[in-house]
Parts: sequence; C-alpha cells; structure tokens
Amino acid sequence: MPNKTTTTTKPKSATTAAKTSPNLASKSASKSAAKLATASNVIEVCRLTKTYKNPKNHQTLKAVNDLSFDVREGEILGLLGPNGSGKSTTINCLLSLLKFDKGTIKIFGETMSPSAYNLKRQIGVVFQEVAVFEELRAQDNIDFFCGLYVKDKAERAKCVDTAIKLVGLEDFRKFYPKQLSGGLLRRLNIACGIAHKPKLIFLDEPTVAVDPQSRQHILDNIETLRKRGATVVYTTHYMEEVEQLCDRIIILDKGKIIASGTNSELKKLVKNKPVKQVAGPTLNDVFLELTGKELRD
Amino acid sequence: MFWHNFKYTLKVVLRDHALIFWTFAFPLILATFFSLAFSNITASEKLGLIDIAVVDNDAWRNDEVFRKAFETLSDEASEDRLFRIQYVSKTEAEQLLADDEISGYLLLERSWFSPQRKALIEFLAPPPADVPPVIFTAKSDINSTILKSVVETVAEQASIIETVIETDPAKLANLAYAHAANLVDQSSTHLDYVMIEYYTLIAMICIYGGIIGMVAVNQLLANMSMSGQRIAVSPARKSTLVLAALCASYIIQLVAVALLFVYLIFVLHVDFGANLPLIILLALIGSLSGLALGVFLAATVKATATTKIGLILAIAMFGCFLAGMMGITMKYLVDTNLPLLNRLNPANLITDGLYALYYYDTFDRYWGNIITLVIISGVMIAISVYALRKEQYDRL
Ligand SMILES: Nc1ncnc2c1ncn2[C@@H]1O[C@H](COP(=O)(O)OP(=O)(O)OP(=O)(O)O)[C@@H](O)[C@H]1O
Ligand SMILES: [Mg+2]
Repeated sequence: MPNKTTTTTKPKSATTAAKTSPNLASKSASKSAAKLATASNVIEVCRLTKTYKNPKNHQTLKAVNDLSFDVREGEILGLLGPNGSGKSTTINCLLSLLKFDKGTIKIFGETMSPSAYNLKRQIGVVFQEVAVFEELRAQDNIDFFCGLYVKDKAERAKCVDTAIKLVGLEDFRKFYPKQLSGGLLRRLNIACGIAHKPKLIFLDEPTVAVDPQSRQHILDNIETLRKRGATVVYTTHYMEEVEQLCDRIIILDKGKIIASGTNSELKKLVKNKPVKQVAGPTLNDVFLELTGKELRD
Repeated sequence: MFWHNFKYTLKVVLRDHALIFWTFAFPLILATFFSLAFSNITASEKLGLIDIAVVDNDAWRNDEVFRKAFETLSDEASEDRLFRIQYVSKTEAEQLLADDEISGYLLLERSWFSPQRKALIEFLAPPPADVPPVIFTAKSDINSTILKSVVETVAEQASIIETVIETDPAKLANLAYAHAANLVDQSSTHLDYVMIEYYTLIAMICIYGGIIGMVAVNQLLANMSMSGQRIAVSPARKSTLVLAALCASYIIQLVAVALLFVYLIFVLHVDFGANLPLIILLALIGSLSGLALGVFLAATVKATATTKIGLILAIAMFGCFLAGMMGITMKYLVDTNLPLLNRLNPANLITDGLYALYYYDTFDRYWGNIITLVIISGVMIAISVYALRKEQYDRL
C-alpha cells in the first residue's frame, strides 16, 4: 500500500497541522459547545482506533487513530479528508459494521452494537458506493430498503412516496437502475437510505461523480432533511459542499483529527496565505495547508 | 420481514437473466442437445462385453434353463451379446476374480432341472424358498450388478418354467430361449447409457439451482455486497432475511427441476421408472444439496457473485462429468478406481439414486445415496450458519 510509505515521512504542512490541532480542537469545541449548549449529543465517539491487518504481508494500517468527537442534535457535521484518511472506516465503525480495536461509540446515549436494533431503526445510511438492486425498479428498491424499517404497508407507501419526491425521482419510479443517469442513480441511492425518516443520517460522499445541478439538488435534499429534524454526518472532499452545508467540520488525515470547528474558525488557521488571495482563504486553502499537498492513494 | 424479503427475493431472482438462463434454459437446451446427439444411436451400441466365469459342474450342466440363457447371452454371432464366458473350476473362478479378470462368476450349487430336483418338486410344490438357487460372487460394480440382475431374473423365470415343465417338458428349451432373448431386450434398453446421461441432467439442475440461493444470500451479507451493508445497518434480523431468501430460492429451484422432469418425460420420453414418490424425494433432497452448496459459497467464499456463479457451474459440470454425463464409462472408472470421490459427489449421488431406483428392486442403494446427500448438505449448512452468525467484520 503506497500509504505505508507516506505515513513515516510527514510533509511539512502536516507537521504544522499536527502541532496546531490539539489547542485548535479544544478551542473550537468549546466555542461551538457554547453555541449549541442546549442541544444534546447524538453521537459520542471516544478514542476510536481501528487497524486493518493485511493477511498477506502481516502489515497493519491504522485507518482510524484515537479519534474522539461528538455530533450534536440537529447539526450537519462535515467529515472532510483526503482519500484514505479514514472517513468511511470511521462511519462503518460507528455503524457497528466493522470491528475496531479500541474506543467507545454511543448513539443517542446508548452503546452502539450490531444488535442495537432500536438504535439502528433511527439511523439512515447512504454508502459511498451505490447499493441498489439492478433487478428492481427505482420505486421497488426504495420500498425494499424502507421495508427493513417500516413494517406497515400504508405507512411505508407514504414514506416511499415522500422519499421519491424529495430526491425528485417522480418521473423515474418505474425505471431500473441501469436506465438512470449517474446523478439520478445517486439520488436513488440517497432515497433508499433515508426513506424510513431516520433521525440520524450518515452520508458518505453522496455526490461523487455527479454534475453540479444534481449535486446542488442533493445538497438541497440534505438541507431539507435537516429542517425536518435529522442530524447529519456528511463526508466529502468537496470543499464548497462543506462550506455551504455544514455547521461544523472535522478534518481528518491519516485517521486523526487534524482540525475541527466551524467554517470561519477553520479559515483563521491558514498562515501561509496565497498572495493572490484577496477575499481571504477559501476552505480549500485550509484543507491543503492542513493535509499537505502530496497525493493519496 | 420474512414475507417482505421472500417477495423481493423472487422479484430480484426472476429478473436476473443470467440466473434464469443457467437454471431454467441451459438444462433444457442440454437435454435437447443430448436427444439430438443420441437419436441415431442404435440399440446395438450398448455397453462393452462383460467378462464372467461359470463353474462348470454337474449342476450347471444339468440346468437347462441357466445354460440356455447364458449361452444365448454370450452368443458370439448375436448382436445382443452381453457376456464373455469362461467355463472353469471353482478355484480357477476364484483366481480369475481375484485377478480382476472377470466381473463375477456363477456357481450353481444344484440345478433346477436335475432329476433329484424334479422328484422333489413332485412332492413339494412350491419349491423351498429359503434355498438360494445360485451363488455367485462379484465385486460391487455395475457389471456385476448386471450379472446379478440377469441371474435373478433367470432364477425367477426358472421357477415359472418349472411349473410349465411339469406338464410339457418339451417346451423347456423354447421357453428358456425366449426368456434369454427377452433378457437381452431388456438389457439393451435398460443399460442404454443415454438414460444415465439424462439422469445426470437432473443432477446438474439440482446443483445449478444453488446459484439462486447463492445470489439471494450473497446480496444479504455485508462482507459480500453493498446491498448487504445496507441490510446490516438496518434493524432487520439477518436470520429471518436469510431464511426467507432460502425459501424463495428453493421454490424457484424446484420449479426449474420440475420443468426439466416434465420436458424429459413428456417430450424426450426418458423413463424414470414408476416410483414417483421416491423420485420426488430424491429431487427435493438433491435440490437441497444444491441450495446448501449455494449458501456455503455465499457465506464462506470472499468473491463477487459472478465468480461464485462460475464456481457453482464448474462444480456442477465437473460433478456431472464424473457421474457420467459425457459417457457412462467415466462413472465406471470413478466408481471403481476412486469410489470415495463419487460417494462425496452430490451430482453422482443424485444420478446414482435415480439409476438405483430404476434398475434395482431393493432400495438400499437409493437410501444410501439419499442419506449421504443429507449429510453433505447438513455439513455445508452447518458451516454456513457458523459463518453467517458473524455480524461485525474486520474489513469490508
Ligand atoms: N478492506 C480494507 N482492507 C485494508 N485496508 C483498508 C480497507 N478499507 C480501507 N482500508 C484502508 O484504510 C484507510 C482508510 O480508508 P477509508 O476508506 O476509510 O478512507 P476514506 O477517507 O473513506 O477515503 P475515500 O475518500 O477514498 O473514500 C485507507 O488507507 C485504506 O487503504
Ligand atoms: Mg470513503
């Protein structure tokens, strides 16, 4: 894994980031805690560590390294990080899909586990890869996944209908996934994950490979879901999305939090401002400064 | 939840064209191909000659019925010749058998038509049943089975002939000859190897059917498919979902098997014998073994569904090949040289079960096959259940 070599030789910018992060993390945490003091924590992650063992060469890779963070009720939390920084791994640990080495995960105040059915009932997940059945029409796909949560048929029909309208698939109910464009397919993928009206939604890069129109549509959908009272954890590496959407941002690199805070808090972090920048740093600058410029796998 | 997943499993599977092709269309196409390929095979193209020995004692020489029957069946001039016979002493026969020169030898302890026996019959009719008419020794392969069935039939016929002889001894030779001809006739259809190749088709579809269960279960498992990850994060119980998927798959599988039976029996006129309940039982258990293989691969092999489909196809094909799909000789070879391989090969167990039902009057061999199939399926299911219980993974 090329990642192996990069972990040992830290680039300059990453080192600075590592230095700044501890006090920054605590500073921003206290600030936003003050802002959202009344809201309770929906997710509490404490010292989560996950290593992948390569059975072939017995090498290990710390994909998530001593990660602690909270997600507050009603917020949209952005998990930002370069490829391979551990975003998906973190989410899969939170969902109890992956075993992890250390740490505790509480959701709605209860410890998450594979058999925590009451917790699972309130969670919706949109995975990074499209997960739908090729053999089922769009509407049936949503109905199938919704049916795993909602038993009552009439209620389910309503849920499915709402989800279809939310993502704008009204004209494509009877289409098979193969007949849908990339953007529509992503929207179907989202509808399958949120039709049962979850209180907590995980979205893992739901906008990869879609055009700006579809992306805007998807972002609007997420905003709508939040307005309906859902808490959202959103991963991406598109800065504009995070800037536009998220209340709070956590930047991950190599499995560690290297910065967290609100959009404006993070922007204050940029020291080596680009000369041509007139309107102040963009989040993109923040990201590149913190995570370094070397390529990831 | 059960019915929800049951319904959607049916929907998903029936829309999967590759799946439908392999489980429904492919066996029918193969059956048609077989019938075309074998349509010009004449009745004379049967098994090779079977080498046997006869202990040339007084009893044999005196026994008109047995002598005549075996002479006819080994007549060099006859197209229907079945046996090549060596007339030897008992020790020589034993040696031949030990040297694997013959499939079996025939030893008559007493002849049916010796003067003593005739006298006996005059006093005691019917003849004492507890005295076996002949003793023969052989290995348990197909050739010796044929020998056994011929001997049994002759003995059975002999007792009928006996009573006829009471009234008209002159008819004896003719009757014996007619009987021998009848035997040849029977063997030429019964031992028609096309038959066993059709049986392997049933075996094949039973195993192939496992593809359906494999696909249905594969898509429920988080470590095997993306849809499985969705399911794993939902509050639905995996056990219920898997059970529903298996029930739906099994039903589709049985429909496919039934379709092939109908096609073979009514269109291609393949004879499966008359024991319908036992044939159905074998089809049910055979399909179960296919299903078990499917779940086993779904739960334990980390690969894409397409790879696993290929794996099942390969296993079924190879299994059927060993069971005689491309020629019954293969089955003989494996049965005699690597018996364990075919005794663990579900395709052969199913083929052999059908064969046993058709050719044998006793059911020992049939039940042996059934029990082995059940055990093999049970082992695969047990391992699968163990693998399926896993809810959290080291990697996805
Ligand atoms: N199944 C696996 N086996 C071994 N290593 C893995 C596995 N899945 C992920 N990894 C490694 O763990 C690290 C984190 O991966 P992860 O998928 O969580 O990153 P990510 O932030 O979601 O990346 P991306 O933006 O590309 O989706 C990477 O270095 C990756 O190579
Ligand atoms: Mg990812």
